Amino acid sequence: MIIIAEKINGSIPSTGKAIEAKDADYIRNLAKVQSEAGADFIDVCASVEVSRELETLKWLIDLVQEVTDTPLAVDSPSAEVCAKAIDFCKRPGIVNSVSMEGNKIEIVFPKIADTKWDCIALLCDDSGIPRTAEKRLEVFEALMKKAKEYNIAPSRLHIDPLVEMLATSEDGINVIIKVMQEIKKQYPDIHVTGAASNVSFNLPARKIINQAFVVLAMNAGLDSVILDPLNRDLRGLIYATEALLGRDEMCIEFIHAFRAGLFGTQKQ
Amino acid sequence: MAKIDEVKEQVIIGKTKIVPGLVQEALDEGSVAKDILQAMIDGMKVVGDRFSAGEIFVPEMLIAAKAMAKGVEVLKPHLAADASTSLGTCVIGTVEGDLHDIGKNLVSMMIGSAGFDMVDLGVDQAPDKFIAAIKNNQNVKLVACSALLTTTLPALKKTVDAIRESGLSGFKIIVGGAPVTQKFADEIGADAYAPDAGAAAEKAKAIVAA
Repeated sequence: MIIIAEKINGSIPSTGKAIEAKDADYIRNLAKVQSEAGADFIDVCASVEVSRELETLKWLIDLVQEVTDTPLAVDSPSAEVCAKAIDFCKRPGIVNSVSMEGNKIEIVFPKIADTKWDCIALLCDDSGIPRTAEKRLEVFEALMKKAKEYNIAPSRLHIDPLVEMLATSEDGINVIIKVMQEIKKQYPDIHVTGAASNVSFNLPARKIINQAFVVLAMNAGLDSVILDPLNRDLRGLIYATEALLGRDEMCIEFIHAFRAGLFGTQKQ
Repeated sequence: MAKIDEVKEQVIIGKTKIVPGLVQEALDEGSVAKDILQAMIDGMKVVGDRFSAGEIFVPEMLIAAKAMAKGVEVLKPHLAADASTSLGTCVIGTVEGDLHDIGKNLVSMMIGSAGFDMVDLGVDQAPDKFIAAIKNNQNVKLVACSALLTTTLPALKKTVDAIRESGLSGFKIIVGGAPVTQKFADEIGADAYAPDAGAAAEKAKAIVAA
């Protein structure tokens, strides 16, 4: 499972406060603890007004790179900002994100075409988030055409099929499960990603829903996820699910992660 | 660290990809095949002890044994001329009516890793199957029988009795399985009992040497 660590995001109140206060130690610490918890990418999202987004992002990226070699996920709703922030990174990371909206692809794909950067791509376009699995797969098809055009291998793409809120969904998560399975069938090397927590908005006991979601989605092909790597319950559940799905030979990864203290009861 | 010590360490942590290369390097360094084998056996003793102490889990024991097996493959051509490295043959199986082989397989693996040549009869073996195996194999020094269920405990007694009555000798009998106790083992006249795979390997070496 590819873990994209979510905590350095200005829309999280405590992180937002640290960004406003220019609290460098707070950010460095978030980078350090998430990296030590086994994150594959450290997401950085400024979540400030557009006029100072890029400089804030640079400040965050520099701080993360001071304390860890873990690659970055440059996260912005603006494709321009993502493309520019790539230049601040010492090593290839992942762009978070593009979609078929506007000219996002045309801004980001040429920039990463001949690099080792990965890219998260959301399955929406200018008409919004398609409601049916079929429509979402049409967006996917258009996206893959673009990827081919810019010679970006499927293994560098993390497709986010966009999970809707369970609270207002009429059919649970069946639509995106179908999309995930189909995507994986078409491109076995492609990554399927998503945020572990979006599904549970506006419901009580969100953690339980998030956990059930991750297990079901992993069974459908989810192999990349945006989450808090310090969430021990979720990490343990992911390792357990990998083993149950036969993706962890002899449960060795599960045991090693347990020994590393990533989940389970900590010894006194 | 000498290569031979590295071999032992890497067996303990189950590095299946690294051990074969290290064994070759140890040979190149001038270590004798027999000593390298002993280093791996010593490594497996550490693994067995940790398993008995509840410090490691079954997969970690399995992968260590796998690492050793990979090392032994490299050693084999160098060992062939020297049969004295074996502690003898061990005939192992679950008793008649008992189909549970997971524990038996672990024990077989650990006794094999301790230096015995294993003849694994499999599951559900009648007493005469054990007796035939003792007769038909060279240098049998140990017979290991297991029963997992309380309902198959009588078959364990029947097996030990039949082996004793056959008049065959020159080997020891070790028994085990979830419901088996030291007391039960004594009652049916077995030479040893072990509660787990790690302990079984240690007991096996001890009673055969005695």
